[in-house]
Amino acid sequence: MNGILQSFQIELLKARRSKMPLATFLAFSLVPFVGGFFMVIMKDPALARRMGIISAKAQIVAGSADWQTYLGILAQAVAIGGIILFGFIGSWVFGREYTDRTLKDLLALPTPRSAIVLGKFGVIMVWSAILTFTICLIGLVIGAAVSLQPVPVEVLWQGTLTIAVTASLNIALITPITFFASAWHGELPPMGAAILALMLAQVIAAAGWGEYFPWSVPALRAGMAGPEYASLGWVSYAIVFLVSLIGGLGTLYWWERTDQTY
Amino acid sequence: MLPIFGSTPAMDPAIETQGLVKKYRDVTAVDGLSLRVEQGEIYAFLGLNGAGKTTTIRLLLGMVNPTSGSARLLGEDIRPGVRKPWGRIGYLVETPHAYPELTVRENLDAMRRLRPGTDAAAVDHVIERLGLSIYADRRAGKLSHGNAQRLGLAKALMHRPQLLLLDEPANGLDPAGIVEIRELLQELVREEGATVFMSSHILAEVARLADRIGIIHQGRLLQELDVDELQRNRRKQLFIQSRDNRSALAVLASAGYSTVISNDGSLELHDEQAIKHPDEIATILVSAGLPPTMLKVEQEDLEHNFLRLIGMSKESSP
Repeated sequence: MNGILQSFQIELLKARRSKMPLATFLAFSLVPFVGGFFMVIMKDPALARRMGIISAKAQIVAGSADWQTYLGILAQAVAIGGIILFGFIGSWVFGREYTDRTLKDLLALPTPRSAIVLGKFGVIMVWSAILTFTICLIGLVIGAAVSLQPVPVEVLWQGTLTIAVTASLNIALITPITFFASAWHGELPPMGAAILALMLAQVIAAAGWGEYFPWSVPALRAGMAGPEYASLGWVSYAIVFLVSLIGGLGTLYWWERTDQTY
Repeated sequence: MLPIFGSTPAMDPAIETQGLVKKYRDVTAVDGLSLRVEQGEIYAFLGLNGAGKTTTIRLLLGMVNPTSGSARLLGEDIRPGVRKPWGRIGYLVETPHAYPELTVRENLDAMRRLRPGTDAAAVDHVIERLGLSIYADRRAGKLSHGNAQRLGLAKALMHRPQLLLLDEPANGLDPAGIVEIRELLQELVREEGATVFMSSHILAEVARLADRIGIIHQGRLLQELDVDELQRNRRKQLFIQSRDNRSALAVLASAGYSTVISNDGSLELHDEQAIKHPDEIATILVSAGLPPTMLKVEQEDLEHNFLRLIGMSKESSP
């Protein structure tokens, strides 16, 4: 559509000029390092004993020191951290127009508001995808660096695929956050919504209804409740898709049709 | 110097509204506004803070939906999703803001790209025209309020609009900046035939620039008048000082002149006959042995005139 590319380029420039990409990269890149740290502990029980309580936690999370476990940790971190971090990116890209009070400059232009919204969605997707790709890459390097036992490429591929699918589900779930950023005029309220979604996801998954709650689905797909729950039915994916669609259309509607007084 | 603005001659009025109403729950921000601004006019929309000026501009720009009524800009109906007229319109709404981490040039280039068809050279041109050259590579977040205002105006003017909607364009500018912007807008209208619709709460400021003035108060358009009419409508008063103002007051009252004592203690007459013939008043006072030490006819100042027009002056009757 007319103007989406221009909007995307401008959003990219705004993001590049800010400190946000670096901040989100630093936050997300901790994941493979922490996973690698757990792997080191698991590989060396003597060190694990000396670590006391930390090694006990590492046991719970990691299980054993192999590629499958390591990539599983990364996928689960993407599932949980992604809700917050990707939600943070979505909140910032949309909410900043309200906090910086620049929204009004985007509302009466030959470039349609919908193109501006879609350009923003594009940047959020690319940004989140690059972060995911980066932690996969760092993860592979760290996994090799801590000398995890070599495994067939198929295992690496499956682990990476799980991370990618988990991240994609979380990226899809940004749209309700962008709707809240628009409707609540800023960055903090939608972040609150993301944190609430994460908490509800934990409770609902624990109650056994996670496959029907969109924000629980990524964690289940990542194997957080065990491999037997990772194979989700189409209903779970459909729910995520539907919520994403509603969030996206809601955001578009909000920009196009409601009163803009900021 | 090359003109930076452009326009397309057209027969439609630049702005036309019919019974425009905007309510926010119990508050009526704009109440039945019907306006017609012809192309090539400078129309000033005058009102106190909260009178409904900004809401009107937001309604005209399609940023808020009217509760009832309609608006047309350059012949196009303004409704949700409309895009056609925006390429020919430039605007500045409330305090201008820009992306703080982008430079002045980057901010303008971003807006240029969202206005397809605007030449890349327009950015440098408007930077120069608005006196922003030395700040071109400075981050917008580091600009002073006055320069931020210039940047806001640059965004509004860059694409050579046919119609400009400017909300308090002189806000934050120093006196030299105000003169500069006034000249710029006059040049735009004179050389390009563009239309300017500007809001303000300072009558003296718009009286020097506008062809017509609409006065809005509590969401209602109270009065529309052209600037010549405004000058004619300004009241005149005769001020008198004598050695004994109380006795002079009694003498003038007995001669049939309604006189009051003004705040500074001098005598104040609004009588048309007295204002036209102050010499007669002087004769009466001299005859009574109270020769005036000061006699002057003063025109009501614009701010007082404005307050009177909106009924907020002590003497609100016209």
